[in-house]
Amino acid sequence: MALYEGIALIQEKQAVVLDLGTDYTKFGFTGEAAPRCIIRSEFWCPSERRYKRVYDYRTPEELYDNLVNMLHLLYFRHVLVNPKERKVVVVESLLTPTLFRETLAKVLFTHYEVSGVVWADSPRLCALTLGTPVSLIVSIGAREAEVCAVVHASVVLRALQSQPLAARAIHDELARLLDEDNNTELHLSEQIIEDIKVKTCFVGNRERAQQWADGPAPTPAKSVQYPLAGRPAITVSGRTRELAAEPLFARDNELASLPDIVLQCIMLCPIDARRALSENILVTGGTATLPGLKARLAHELRYLVTQPPYSDRLCIREFKFHKSPTHDNTVAWCGGAVGGAADAGATRALPRDVFARTRRLRDWACLLDNTPPHHPHRDQLDQ
Amino acid sequence: MAYLTQPDYVKYVCSCGQLKPITSLYFCRHCLKIRCGFCICHEVDSHHCANCLENMPSSEARLKKNRCSSCFDCPSCFHTLSTRATMAAQRQAQDPAGGDAKVENKQTKKMYYLSCFNCRWTSRDVGIPDQSVASGGWPERTNPFLSRYNQLLDYYKAIAQQEKQEKLERERKKFAIRGKYITLTDKTGLTGAMARNIAGLPTSESGSSAAIASFTPSQASAEVDELPDDVYTKDVNLKQITSMSQRLASPEWQPSSVSRLHPLAKLLSIKRSQRCRVCDHNLTKPEYNPGSIKFKIELLAYYHVPEVKIISYETVKPGEKSALLLKLTNPTGHEMQIQLMQPEDLPPVEEREEPKSIEKSLEKSLNLEKDTSSYRAIERVAELGSSSRVTAPEATLTLAQRDDAAEYDDDAQQDTSDFILWRKSNKLALRLEVTTDAAATPGAPARAALALQYSYRNTVPPAPAAPQQAHHTLYTTLLLDLGVVSG
Repeated sequence: MALYEGIALIQEKQAVVLDLGTDYTKFGFTGEAAPRCIIRSEFWCPSERRYKRVYDYRTPEELYDNLVNMLHLLYFRHVLVNPKERKVVVVESLLTPTLFRETLAKVLFTHYEVSGVVWADSPRLCALTLGTPVSLIVSIGAREAEVCAVVHASVVLRALQSQPLAARAIHDELARLLDEDNNTELHLSEQIIEDIKVKTCFVGNRERAQQWADGPAPTPAKSVQYPLAGRPAITVSGRTRELAAEPLFARDNELASLPDIVLQCIMLCPIDARRALSENILVTGGTATLPGLKARLAHELRYLVTQPPYSDRLCIREFKFHKSPTHDNTVAWCGGAVGGAADAGATRALPRDVFARTRRLRDWACLLDNTPPHHPHRDQLDQ
Repeated sequence: MAYLTQPDYVKYVCSCGQLKPITSLYFCRHCLKIRCGFCICHEVDSHHCANCLENMPSSEARLKKNRCSSCFDCPSCFHTLSTRATMAAQRQAQDPAGGDAKVENKQTKKMYYLSCFNCRWTSRDVGIPDQSVASGGWPERTNPFLSRYNQLLDYYKAIAQQEKQEKLERERKKFAIRGKYITLTDKTGLTGAMARNIAGLPTSESGSSAAIASFTPSQASAEVDELPDDVYTKDVNLKQITSMSQRLASPEWQPSSVSRLHPLAKLLSIKRSQRCRVCDHNLTKPEYNPGSIKFKIELLAYYHVPEVKIISYETVKPGEKSALLLKLTNPTGHEMQIQLMQPEDLPPVEEREEPKSIEKSLEKSLNLEKDTSSYRAIERVAELGSSSRVTAPEATLTLAQRDDAAEYDDDAQQDTSDFILWRKSNKLALRLEVTTDAAATPGAPARAALALQYSYRNTVPPAPAAPQQAHHTLYTTLLLDLGVVSG
């Protein structure tokens, strides 16, 4: 054993990959195919005597405390390693608020004294798991659906699309439909709604969705009696099961449904990348595991592209989909684990001493980081 | 005063500004300051299984992915699984009615399976064959995506390698020392190649480029997972579908049907040691034995800081005075002088600027790790938000040292002083007056802040060079919860 310990001292410590999602947090080591744990992003708060979600914060101090508690839980209850002098790969959305990023950096560097952090955006990490040069990442998470085009390892930022069409939208619709089914206001907790969704809901195909909308209604799927603790069981009708995810596909004049934003993202991309993008689509995120969702999205895309305004602007007719080598909810994490292991976190990590000196993070939205070197304003920024 | 299930009525202000009950505070004997879980550094000390209490060296734990090899959790309800033994009949037919025990013993064999006593799940439910040995030997599953994942890993490692080499190459070209004579080997890197050739190693580039060349990117297809045809006609059996927590308990497989649940190897537990961020001394260090709940080092505030308990208090009314009965306890083995103060009268926390000797500054410059800037970032100012003031008597109170034998004395001594109710060995009861602000809103929580000045005798053997100083005067602030302001 002493020998192994000696080797471990010489070697670079295995880095950890952190994907702090709105609902679920994925945490594990680089070089491993699956995260060590997937847990809800919440912790027991003894002073308030309730489970507190990491993303529920009003002040920066509260966020700092939340992150300290959450990381403590992850490091010392689930993954059981010392955070000190170990690198971290942080999987983040491109649209993460600056306050959140900077507070997370402060917590990691000053509170947990990690030696370096690789800040990696999830679309590019998802693309890493495919290995294709061009890919379109449709990630449907807890709050938002994000569509990103990754062309030769860079995100086409101006084509980035995001809409609040994800698990929350489905939960709200499911709660509304359940109230309709049972003719009362049920006020079910978020966890029960999620459980009903996971166990019973699916996404019906396009024709049936149209029949539901314009009548005559098709024969619904079988209804389910869902038992509740301390209350009579509630009915989950076949219609509810089928239509809960319908808000994702509901079209209006805004053209902001899920298939619409996918097509708009392609439309905003350079013309020579569009065909490759439509033939390399990856649908990821926890909500993508809903049965039938991918098939429905494919059908909608194939239909919508023949309709205006897309038919006269897009000349693509073919949509092809990838399967990533992991479960849908851990794709971005998996990309982080691959990327972190290959790079060993050496070249792309922000080391602790650099952060201690500069106290800032690189951000794609910041002029200091996105002004090219020969730009006339570059000199002023460098001062 | 701290309780398991009730709110904490007396909270101390930690040196980092957090408010915590005395039971969750530490006391660093080297800095002479109160520390709490927020401002100290936690470290993983040792791994053990909480079920079988088996110790596991950290290197072995790393190899086994922090899972116990003999204990399992129920995949359905996460309770610990128990091993059950049955007598299984051997293949050859036997007479069920006759035969004595000895003959039967020869023909039957003890077989083991896992069973959950909480939800009655058994390993037989999912078709795991019974085992002939009681512990271990359970089939291990591999991640279905592992082979593709390893291909990806090899590919990106090769790319990273190439990137590194190109960078080195560039560096070398930049700083190539141009000698008088240009040799052939300088320019082409021939020596390296030759050395590799002689040693029988493959040429350096070929390894990485082969991995890159043989990699196939993921193939997209127009087909997507369609809904199964029977989804509109089949009945849903809720008991056959796993819940989210059951799926996520095994991130590698995430089974969606109950019939695919497999026992989960039990996650190890750890013992933590705690370290002061400022001086790097251990605050707690547990014993190595997993069964022991004792500590080798245990610098808890409970053993060093005078404890304050509320005996009773009158209802707090805005603009009025009310009585408050407190009990002070001296937990140390030395006599303690205590004086009650107002929080604002505390001397400001002086920056302990040590006499700057050359050695010290040298040590500081050499040892960048010990820089306390990280601690500064964690510190904040405590929000006391107290609406009431405790009228503190000027007198200095003397508390005797803790004496375990004195616990058996019954007679409380009556003290002459008007605010001391009674004294008993190392304890002291006080009657104090609380003045509440007239502007306090009825219904708001009534809090009173109080500061203590106490003498502390340091028992740490001082370093040979350090000045001999054992007696210290320390300060602490605490917040008393006096219910709500009545209207």
